[in-house]
Amino acid sequence: MRSGTQFCPGCGQALVASAVAPERNAARPSSARFIEHWAELKRLGWLFGLLLATSFVFGIAWRSAPSPWLDVVASTIDAVIVLVAVALRYRKMLFLFHLRPSGLRDSAALVGIAFLFVALASAYFWAIELLGVPVASATATFTRAGWPLWTVFLLLSVMPALFEELAFRGVIQSALERILNARDAWLIQAALFSVLHLSPLMFPSHFLMGLCFGYMRRRSRSIYPGMLLHACWNALVVLKELYL
Amino acid sequence: MDKTWEVDEANTVKAHFGGFGKKIVTVNGSEVHNSRKMGPKGTIPFSLPDGRSAVLSVKPQFVGVPSIDLKVDGNLVVETGKTPVKCAACSTVAKPYDRFCGKCGKEMPTAEDYEHQKNLKAATGAIKVLAVIFVLGGIAFFFITKGTSDTALVKLEGMDQTAMYPTPIGGRNYTVGELRRQLAWEPWGVLIMNLIIAAIMLALSVWARRAPLPAVLIATATYAVVITASAISDPATLGQGALMKIIIIAFLIKGIKAALALRTASA
Repeated sequence: MRSGTQFCPGCGQALVASAVAPERNAARPSSARFIEHWAELKRLGWLFGLLLATSFVFGIAWRSAPSPWLDVVASTIDAVIVLVAVALRYRKMLFLFHLRPSGLRDSAALVGIAFLFVALASAYFWAIELLGVPVASATATFTRAGWPLWTVFLLLSVMPALFEELAFRGVIQSALERILNARDAWLIQAALFSVLHLSPLMFPSHFLMGLCFGYMRRRSRSIYPGMLLHACWNALVVLKELYL
Repeated sequence: MDKTWEVDEANTVKAHFGGFGKKIVTVNGSEVHNSRKMGPKGTIPFSLPDGRSAVLSVKPQFVGVPSIDLKVDGNLVVETGKTPVKCAACSTVAKPYDRFCGKCGKEMPTAEDYEHQKNLKAATGAIKVLAVIFVLGGIAFFFITKGTSDTALVKLEGMDQTAMYPTPIGGRNYTVGELRRQLAWEPWGVLIMNLIIAAIMLALSVWARRAPLPAVLIATATYAVVITASAISDPATLGQGALMKIIIIAFLIKGIKAALALRTASA
């Protein structure tokens, strides 16, 4: 026996009467949980990869011939991908589709965070404009092609709000919450949301968006408040581009 | 390349891999294998003096030296490293084969845990490498873009700022003034974008020490997005440095798996 040894290095039994064994797991965690979590991460990888692939294909197509129809097709494909992902884990995220009556405190927090978000995001875009950084117009192709206003709002405000919220605050955040803790899941979904918009210049603003919408989803335990704010913010951006 | 495994108090396995594929395996000093050949799937099976079966497996890696593992009765054995194994709770030096700390009784990491830690370290290293690549790439592309922008700006000199440029660019019509501003901004845009990504990678590599799984996940997603965004702006970039990209992604995915395994084990 080695000198100073109080526990058996092979089986962990106390060799000295006064030795107090530390708390140990009864058994090492089974690999079943690892397999389950790894499968969950792979599913998220597929969802993210498919959305990225759509952006890639339509980004290339857009470069050669910009058309509002490309937006329609891309949005439809994204919607189908997200709906399939939601359908595959519908039971696990069912709780997000309820609108619960929230107390005054929660409502005030949600309204407060919405105002804070609008103020911070507006300040960010104002700063970008002030620096003279060129930002691509989202509505230009629609107005040039003479598409009616409602289609612009549907494709740039309503559809992204619906399906991005379902994908990021719905599927991704709820899946990550099962693997990680709530805070890490919240941060990761915001990061994924920001990078999927494919513009490093927009990373900070979209990360902030992801944080706000994710916080609203956590606070309200519903996907709808974030969806509403997302649609309103996108509508504001469209209005600003069209009329200011 | 030499490797040593202290299997228990009575058995020590040493492996020597020579420069021309010579492989010598000794158990307690006596040779059990001396050949260039190996068994199926790069394995060298042999027996320990007490009759237990042991298998040395050599797995080639994407980059660097192959990984060499020893399994005794199907269980992975912790390699005896240059630095002694210490208990995470009380820092007492332990033997690699100890399953519990002799002083405080805390469970020691298994050989699989060490393997995961190694993969995680490689993934964190890959994130740091990415940060450096983006800084250097940003500086290089700044000067390249500045050269082409300056040439284009010289051509626009003397033209009326408010006049429309005759040919549309990317399907959009620009005035000469707008085009000049765009061209002047372009090299700075490239530099700032690369520096933003480098800063993100650097922050993630620091965060990886505290929260490895989220950090490696975000780094992988960011890198995939950067490759995609570059390919959209110039499809030729997809093939540039393809091997390097595959190696980095492989390291990152291995890192995700390792971080998840460590997280599951410590839960």
